[in-house]
Amino acid sequence: MRLAPRHKALRDRGTGAQRTSMRLLVALGEIYGADRLIPVTSAHIAGASYKMVGDPGLEFIEDFARDATVSIPATVNPLGMDLDRWREQGIPEEFAAKQRRIAEAYRRMGVLPSFSCTPYLIGLRPKRGEHVAWAESSAACFANSVLGARTNREGGPSALASAVTGVTPNYGLHLDENRRATAVVDVRARVRGFGFSLLGLHVGRELGGGVPYFRGIRGTESDLKWLSASIAATGDVAMFHVDRVTREWRAARPKGLPRLTVTDRDLRAIQREYTTGTDADIIGLGSPQLSSEELREVATLVGRHRPRIPVWVFASRSARDAAADAVARIEGLGGRVFVDTCLEVTMIENVSQTVATPSGKGAVYLPTLCGQKVIMDEVERLFRRYAS
Amino acid sequence: MILEGRPVAPGRGEGRALASAKPMSFLGGVDRETGVVTDPTSDIRGENVLGRVLSFPHGKGSTVGSYVLYGLAKRGRGPAGIVNERTEAIVATGAILGGIPLVDGIDVSLLRTGDRAIVDGDAGVVALPDVAERRVVTAFLRNKGRVLIVKRGPRVKTFRGAWSGISGYIEGLEPPLWRARKEVLEETEIEAARLVARGAVIRTRHESTVFAIHPFLFEVGSRKVTLDWENVEARWVRPEELSRFRPTVPRLDDVLVSVWLPPTSGGRRPGRPPSQGGGAGARRGSRGSRRTGGSRRASRPGPGGPARAAAP
Repeated sequence: MRLAPRHKALRDRGTGAQRTSMRLLVALGEIYGADRLIPVTSAHIAGASYKMVGDPGLEFIEDFARDATVSIPATVNPLGMDLDRWREQGIPEEFAAKQRRIAEAYRRMGVLPSFSCTPYLIGLRPKRGEHVAWAESSAACFANSVLGARTNREGGPSALASAVTGVTPNYGLHLDENRRATAVVDVRARVRGFGFSLLGLHVGRELGGGVPYFRGIRGTESDLKWLSASIAATGDVAMFHVDRVTREWRAARPKGLPRLTVTDRDLRAIQREYTTGTDADIIGLGSPQLSSEELREVATLVGRHRPRIPVWVFASRSARDAAADAVARIEGLGGRVFVDTCLEVTMIENVSQTVATPSGKGAVYLPTLCGQKVIMDEVERLFRRYAS
Repeated sequence: MILEGRPVAPGRGEGRALASAKPMSFLGGVDRETGVVTDPTSDIRGENVLGRVLSFPHGKGSTVGSYVLYGLAKRGRGPAGIVNERTEAIVATGAILGGIPLVDGIDVSLLRTGDRAIVDGDAGVVALPDVAERRVVTAFLRNKGRVLIVKRGPRVKTFRGAWSGISGYIEGLEPPLWRARKEVLEETEIEAARLVARGAVIRTRHESTVFAIHPFLFEVGSRKVTLDWENVEARWVRPEELSRFRPTVPRLDDVLVSVWLPPTSGGRRPGRPPSQGGGAGARRGSRGSRRTGGSRRASRPGPGGPARAAAP
């Protein structure tokens, strides 16, 4: 890999954090065959939930924050708790104290305290062709597919290193040739809303990785957000195309590629497979965090069905503030709208053994990260099922 | 000897090797306070990484493993250096965050626990001062789809009783091909051997020696073999039958794979080469039919007689 003089200067004569960051990016660039470092316009950092990174992560982040400052706009993933309402989440005091230290360390570095897995919903919307360094598999997939921005599926430390240095190694999805389709997915099913989560789970697992080219679906931005999250949860997929819909479908070159046909039957099968519980303790909505529009839909459903089990909704602070009326309605009817955190990176296991959720990503991670059984279904059907 | 790899994390570290043949998980696999390997599936469980040159093929498991490596190094409980076959992001990240020298692109099967080892993360090399490299040739002779293997006799210094190709030490600066031809002549008395293929060097560790094997494949026109003192038995076998002849010298299967090319024209297809590392089929074969031959019929002529094989 060739380094520009200013990058060499950072590596050799920068602050401790700059030197470490530059070394890390260069090493990863060498591993993945990058030719050089390229500038990025934003970074999205993962590794903020104390539940996920534990004491090893806390230690590193605090040490690193001593002399690290971000040089480009940088956001960070959800924490393990709502910074204000963690007691309601059943979070122990010690966990909360350590979690606050992680949040504080990111703040000190100049990271925007977004604590959100949906940076694209809170104002960080890179344009087509813009290079960014985003961790968080669902957000990276959304950025590449829906926004047409360019990012690899970064790890927590590499995204942080890019936030500090403003560069990323040039490989993978930063290059045109790796953004072309690698498989065609013919969808022979009517996919709407919740169906996008099922579709993602199924296709991610069937393909394992690559850049799928979907035919036979149309989706809103919200639909594609759920598709991004679930396909990245079961597959090493950081980008997809949707015929006539996504930003780069014209450059995808789907001709002559291996083909996967998806039917209703496949989607029903994957739903059954990820439904492991029979009786939910809680309805969990998030993973990724809900947008303000989605919060309004949930408010309507809560009003219509008056669920008899607790409803926990996860959103960013900005989505919550933008839908304050809806949030008030949900809370007024006994639901909880938590911010700064999300479905499976918080300690939902402290209050539940079985979660009902429409989230495909949630259905993948709740069992492994939270020891939960899952009832996976469309959100209104869940509300109807648990209506009082 | 010096093993050449690729620099990943800078610095120089020296210590006794702690060698694992398995992918390593640091989160839940190594105690961050003590450096003791706790992973129950690890082949170095219970060992301490502190001050060692830790070698393993690559990392696995949670990305939080990077922070565990960092934490070990920060406490002064980390390894002196890391050697990998193919580093991935978790270990690379941890090594850089922790300032642990790391070199990858190394065949980790060449290191043994206890070896003195020096990792140079700037130059991308690993030195094993107490290990010597010996260059050897291994030549397979081919005739009508079969290859010659020989059983090493009681008077050779290493691997007595093991099946092998025609082999011998490369001396001084002599060209390996020259040595291979010389050994073929000495060990089989076959003079007309046409070079078909040569493979990339394959290394294997035996006690404090690393053998660097230069593989060759020769086409010969006759199956008439006259053995010298080194070998006691010769067989012309189909490549897929090699798995039935055990023990062999180390990595004989890999050496054959490295040179085995199907003929481009004429003759029958010689069959598939043996699977690398001995797949399920190979293992079945070795348990199943043990040949009771033991014959010293070293000069059985092939069905095609002594005629020279058709040129490809």
